[in-house]
Amino acid sequence: MEVKDVTKDFIPAFSFTELLKFNFKRASTTRAIDGLSFTLNKGSSLAILGPNGAGKTTLLKILSTLILPDKGSVKINGSYLDVQDEKIKASIGFAGAAERSFYWRLTGRQNLEFFSAMYGLDKAAASSRICALFKLFGVTYQDKRFDSYSAGMQQKFALMRALIHDPPILLLDEPTKSLDYASSLELRSFIKEVLVKKQRKTLVFTTHQMDEALGFADMLMILHYGRLFAYGTLEELRRKAGMPGGSLGEIFIRLAGGSVPC
Amino acid sequence: MLRKPLAFLKKDFITESSYNLNFLFNFAGILTSILGYFFINKLFGNRMVGHLEEFGVNYFSYVLLSMAFFGYVGVGLSSFSEHLRNEQVQGTLEAVLLTPTGISTILLSLSLWNLVLATVDMAVYILFAIFLFKINFSNVNIISTIVVFALTIISFSSLGILSACFIMVFKRGNPFGWLVASLEGLIGGVYFPITVLPGWVQLLAKFFPITHAIRAIELAVYRGYDLKQLSGEILSLLIFSAVLAPLSLAAFKHSIKRARREGSLIQY
Repeated sequence: MEVKDVTKDFIPAFSFTELLKFNFKRASTTRAIDGLSFTLNKGSSLAILGPNGAGKTTLLKILSTLILPDKGSVKINGSYLDVQDEKIKASIGFAGAAERSFYWRLTGRQNLEFFSAMYGLDKAAASSRICALFKLFGVTYQDKRFDSYSAGMQQKFALMRALIHDPPILLLDEPTKSLDYASSLELRSFIKEVLVKKQRKTLVFTTHQMDEALGFADMLMILHYGRLFAYGTLEELRRKAGMPGGSLGEIFIRLAGGSVPC
Repeated sequence: MLRKPLAFLKKDFITESSYNLNFLFNFAGILTSILGYFFINKLFGNRMVGHLEEFGVNYFSYVLLSMAFFGYVGVGLSSFSEHLRNEQVQGTLEAVLLTPTGISTILLSLSLWNLVLATVDMAVYILFAIFLFKINFSNVNIISTIVVFALTIISFSSLGILSACFIMVFKRGNPFGWLVASLEGLIGGVYFPITVLPGWVQLLAKFFPITHAIRAIELAVYRGYDLKQLSGEILSLLIFSAVLAPLSLAAFKHSIKRARREGSLIQY
């Protein structure tokens, strides 16, 4: 995965009340990502850290083809964004932080069947894949309507959907956000042992939790105001922060805490 | 190739059938609207005889067919924007667009369920017409009817896709959809033959595909006109389809790209 000099500005839409005042000037743009470049090797796992509004989710959505950057280039699994989007989509699995993205009148299984068809799996392949995922995630209530699942179970389904076509790359936006402590530990262990160690997936995930980042990421990125403040292994980040032996939390505060760019 | 559209169809069937009463009220609605026109025909039907001479039927037969036809092809006009908006609000649009599924497949699949429902509605209209109101369809020219249906669906679906572009970009407020749906019904000859309208409105009506489609379908069904006799209407519909179909697909691709640039794909 190669990201070169990517910049993304968000332009606010015209406000109707401002138009009524004959004010046709748009509000100023918000720079979400500012000249970001990095390379991630196949099979590596990257944790993106940063305060709220740092650009973590925007970066993840750019990598998943949902948002187009204004400048720069993105190459994923040998394909370029905005040129070979279909190939990129086939090679990534994305699980967002807010799981509103399922059909609530359908059961969990019916949802997975629908999305497996969207990923081009035939009926037999979809059936065995769904069965394997239910076993892997220990899901017993497979035929309940989606709106009756707990937040934790919905998060599991989001992850199962991201894995349905067995993609080599996984993009996860705060994967343990809505989970209780036990479920969170269980999911972290699953990601580390199965997805990272056993299946050697390339993993990019956002998180606010330092222990989660250290739990299964070999590369760490600190974003702030859309800029790359630090990128590398824990040791490299310690050197950059001038804190040998410092914890990730201390390094994060040193590098990203309180600095407001002009 | 059909797996993705069929998956949409199954998903929509499960969703819609979970709202049990919907189906029932739909059919009741058809019958009440037909009955309304049946009594209007009793009251004012004789005043329309001159305008309906070329079709060879009374007002009730005319309006029943045009409403059934408009109800069917009108699906193309509204279902894309409706379903797109539903997917946006539910939050599922993002998940669907993340899959390697082409835009044209998504668009086709979004309206498939409505098309199936419209077919059922159309069948109900025809069953009521034949068995309850004893309308005679024996002159129908099947080939002309199929050609007119196909061309009208392409034209209307293209207008519907253009309308969906507004939803994609502006989220709410679809002036194009409103304008087309209202004007098509009013001046296109759905509720009365356009000869009732003032001359300049009749001229304006020629710029809407429905005007040609309604005239063609009435003549194909009630007078049995063949393709040669309907060549003027069919040529007009062909031109509408040839211009609108590629234009609407290009516009929709552009609107998706714009939403991706603005980061507003899942906003609603």
